[in-house]
Amino acid sequence: MVPMAMAPSSLLSGRVLGGHFNLLNRTTLQPSSWSELAAVRRQLKVGPLKAGFWETIRSGFVKDETAQIVDPPSTVGEEEERLTEEFILLEKALPDGTTEQIIFSSGGVVDVYDLQALCDKVGWPRRPLSKLAAALKNSYLVATLHSVCKLTGSDEGEQRKLIGMARATSDHAFNATIWDVLVDPSYQGQGLGKALVENLIRTLLQRDIGNISLFADGQVVEFYRNLGFEADPEGIKGMFWYPKF
Amino acid sequence: MISAAASASSSSATHGVRRCFLDSTMELRWVTRRSRSRNPKVEIPMLPGPPSIPICISAKSSHADPRSVRDLFVDCDLSCHRFPKLGHDGRVVVEGDFLEKLGIALANSSVVVSVFCRPEDLVSGDSEAEVVNGRELGFGRLMSRVAPSVGPGNGKLIGFGRAVSDLGLTASIYDVMVTPRLRGMGIGKMVVKRLIRILTSKDIYDIAALCSESQRPFFQACGFCDDVLCSTTMMYTRRGSLDTSEDQLVKHAGRKLLLVPLPTLKR
Repeated sequence: MVPMAMAPSSLLSGRVLGGHFNLLNRTTLQPSSWSELAAVRRQLKVGPLKAGFWETIRSGFVKDETAQIVDPPSTVGEEEERLTEEFILLEKALPDGTTEQIIFSSGGVVDVYDLQALCDKVGWPRRPLSKLAAALKNSYLVATLHSVCKLTGSDEGEQRKLIGMARATSDHAFNATIWDVLVDPSYQGQGLGKALVENLIRTLLQRDIGNISLFADGQVVEFYRNLGFEADPEGIKGMFWYPKF
Repeated sequence: MISAAASASSSSATHGVRRCFLDSTMELRWVTRRSRSRNPKVEIPMLPGPPSIPICISAKSSHADPRSVRDLFVDCDLSCHRFPKLGHDGRVVVEGDFLEKLGIALANSSVVVSVFCRPEDLVSGDSEAEVVNGRELGFGRLMSRVAPSVGPGNGKLIGFGRAVSDLGLTASIYDVMVTPRLRGMGIGKMVVKRLIRILTSKDIYDIAALCSESQRPFFQACGFCDDVLCSTTMMYTRRGSLDTSEDQLVKHAGRKLLLVPLPTLKR
């Protein structure tokens, strides 16, 4: 295993989830002019809670304490998770004088365009690039497989291609869900998907994250069963929200 | 105002009659005990309790103090582990590192919703008398009826829920719970609706919730159902054993002992 220098996205991934979330679109309660104050008054319901109304206006002039950044408890574990891990999974010499290496990498930067192209290859429906980028940035673990071809015995003419990816979201303590496991069709059948998932599980368990779940399509249930996953264990099922219009 | 309060408690079908925004992340709501559930599959425990109480619902993560959340877990006999260890009394065993891990989990959850009530509302009180005899209310009690003071500072945490998301595509809801005495009043549903409202405002529509057989009717009532894409929910449960001849690594997860996969060797 060759620890690499920290890539910018891995610097962010640990902190973003650890920071304080104030996710509501807050109507600003810090009016800088009287006309804005009037607008705020119109928005707030001045009902039986007159006390509450003045409370809100007052808090608007007090230094904004709601946007606090809460530092996550920093432990040795937190430091570990930001290191990029990379190692060679497979290496083979090809008849044309080149060597192909399959490199497993975790915590590194993933090019969203490369990922989109890979999703197209496996036949997945397209998702907006910005959402894909956000999902990658905020995932707890992102593992990739790259194929690196170069002339045997030298580093010349190196071509690096994304051929696999798997990611997991987590609360860093108890639960993790594995989403989006994919391997380039021309590289399937060699145990690469298995390596991706097993390494994710290994990392999660080493960090004491014990509830590892995923939602498998019909044709891959057997694949995951062989990796130690159980369907609906003890009656636990996943349900999804569907908006009713 | 007195007649409004009277109608709030006597009507058995409405929740949240009045809504007041305390600030952009906190809301004061009134919840009413239903005499019977609209959904025949949902059982309402017939515990004694007040018919109508004010609660404060907040999405500010600093309001969810890990100690209070831990106490709520104990009240509800639940655990963060999917397969918790049970003691001799059949109740969930609280592990030594639970508080610390809970703090980490809360800090890394994308959305955390807390619900507070006044401590006096948890004690079985008969607030009917106050409302019916409106004329006999003193000014102090009138004020506490129409402008109740309930919030994280002076209230008890009685409801909770959190979600973990990648803030792009997906989210998972965990640990939705309401203290046993105050179930059947719509608080759990309010927590889930709040989580969904916040997630959808961030453009996340793929929201999952892992639940046991007994929790399914609750989530169904909140608008969840089986995956239309017919995916199978799976969890890693491969067992390891403690007595090993080889260098096998195992990890405890509640009552399960999971096998840690060996590192892949270069071929």
